Amino acid sequence: MSGLSTVVDELIADVDGVLLFTTNQSTYEQFADGDLPVIVVETENAVGAESYVSLPLELSSPSERVRFGIEGAINQGLLEEDEEVIGLTQSFSESRLDTVVRVRTDEFTQTGVYDLFANSRPDAEVVRDVFEVAIELGRKGQKGKPVGALFVVGDAGTVMNKSRPLSYNPFEKSHVDVGDPIVNVMLKEFSRLDGAFVISDSGKIVSAYRYLEPGAEGVEIPKGLGARHMAGGAITRDTTAIAIVLSESDGMVRAFKAGSLVLELDPEAY
Amino acid sequence: MLDALDSISDSLTKETAFTLAVAVLVLGLVASYLAWRLTHSLFRRTGLTSTVEGTTVERTAGRFGTSTAGIIGMLFALLVYAFAMLVAFNITQVFDVSAFWARIAALLPQLFVAILAIIVGFALGDRAKLAVQERLRSVKLPRASILPGLVKYSIYYVAALIALAQVGVAATALLLLLAAYAFGIVLLAAVAFKDLLAAGAAGLFLILNEPFTIGDEVRVDGQRGIVQEMTLFVTHVEADGEEHIVPNHQVFRSGIVRVRD
Repeated sequence: MSGLSTVVDELIADVDGVLLFTTNQSTYEQFADGDLPVIVVETENAVGAESYVSLPLELSSPSERVRFGIEGAINQGLLEEDEEVIGLTQSFSESRLDTVVRVRTDEFTQTGVYDLFANSRPDAEVVRDVFEVAIELGRKGQKGKPVGALFVVGDAGTVMNKSRPLSYNPFEKSHVDVGDPIVNVMLKEFSRLDGAFVISDSGKIVSAYRYLEPGAEGVEIPKGLGARHMAGGAITRDTTAIAIVLSESDGMVRAFKAGSLVLELDPEAY
Repeated sequence: MLDALDSISDSLTKETAFTLAVAVLVLGLVASYLAWRLTHSLFRRTGLTSTVEGTTVERTAGRFGTSTAGIIGMLFALLVYAFAMLVAFNITQVFDVSAFWARIAALLPQLFVAILAIIVGFALGDRAKLAVQERLRSVKLPRASILPGLVKYSIYYVAALIALAQVGVAATALLLLLAAYAFGIVLLAAVAFKDLLAAGAAGLFLILNEPFTIGDEVRVDGQRGIVQEMTLFVTHVEADGEEHIVPNHQVFRSGIVRVRD
């Protein structure tokens, strides 16, 4: 046993802060009374923590979650770039803390995943809702077949001026918002049409069936991705919008901001 | 009706009248029990039991080992039984003071309604306060916490007024106060929400007719730019990194120039 406790002691020695992934009040209070700064990272601040990073999605992998928590904490000025932190999170259980991760805050390059939600032009809730639609579409497909989809969120006016309709816009003169369960069904149905969905800052679905016409020079996307990703990446460089792309070939959901890939999620993991 | 009973009882012998009175009393007992049961089942079936849960009335009633349904049921039962007693007394003519009883009989329902008004008012007030609190919970504005209390006491006030009016207490002054209060609120609301109402009305037209839509280049209220967002109250027009948020009534009043090239 002494070997185990040595390892654990070493693991938690000289840390500068704790990232706590919990909604449990008593768990939080155990930590809040200590001298280490505690940052709660969760989808909701159920424990009323002072330092809190809002987790926009139920990220399934612990490393993704810790990465998001650290980026968020640095962004909010809760952590410095050269600190050692402990992440207490869940890997197998739903709610019990079963994973301890020790990480230096500058151990990885920041991808801007926190920035994507918190500091993008569209509301964080809208971004989250679009992600949820894309993830669900990726998991279930359209009538069992894998589909691709491209959602351009925010800066809708500029995006509309940098694109042209492929056919009649099914959302013309309709006032529907993404996040509404019925609308999500509509989005899934229309995903069989080619072209992009344009969604405004506040989540209003402006158009489907758009052909994006940005200049694609200098847009770096991973090799092997096709025209949909290229179009999505390029439009975010020319506008302040973000693009959320569901790949038809590998089924991944990817998010682009300012012309570069920021987040890659596997819908099957949700 | 009591006069009719009087004439019936005149034609009866003393023994028959007494038996009849006892029968009426027993019948009254049964009827009042039924009334009590009816109130309970009515409360349960209409979901009122869960509605009054957690209100002051319910808590006070709980302290006396009963519930709101219990209190109202009891009141109802008492009313029925009092009426039965009245009829019985009239038949036997134990007390020959029919004028006195007639007045009591006239007052009883009023008293009942008054108590009912108080109970319902208290429950409603508490409920309304909770509902408003719930709505305001997402708004982290300490000063907004005055609103739930205001709503609660306004409803209490109206309930008290109804009760007082029922038992015949002169409540004209209080009524005038209420009128002044209501008028004040309406006036304040009209002044405060003038622009919002105008913007909303104009916004309704803009949203229904869509003379322009997101992505169009327009000039409204002296601002030229691309429409980024249209809501019920405002229109967002963006040009050169500046996003102008123009109230819809201003959009409507200034007219819309659609720029086409």
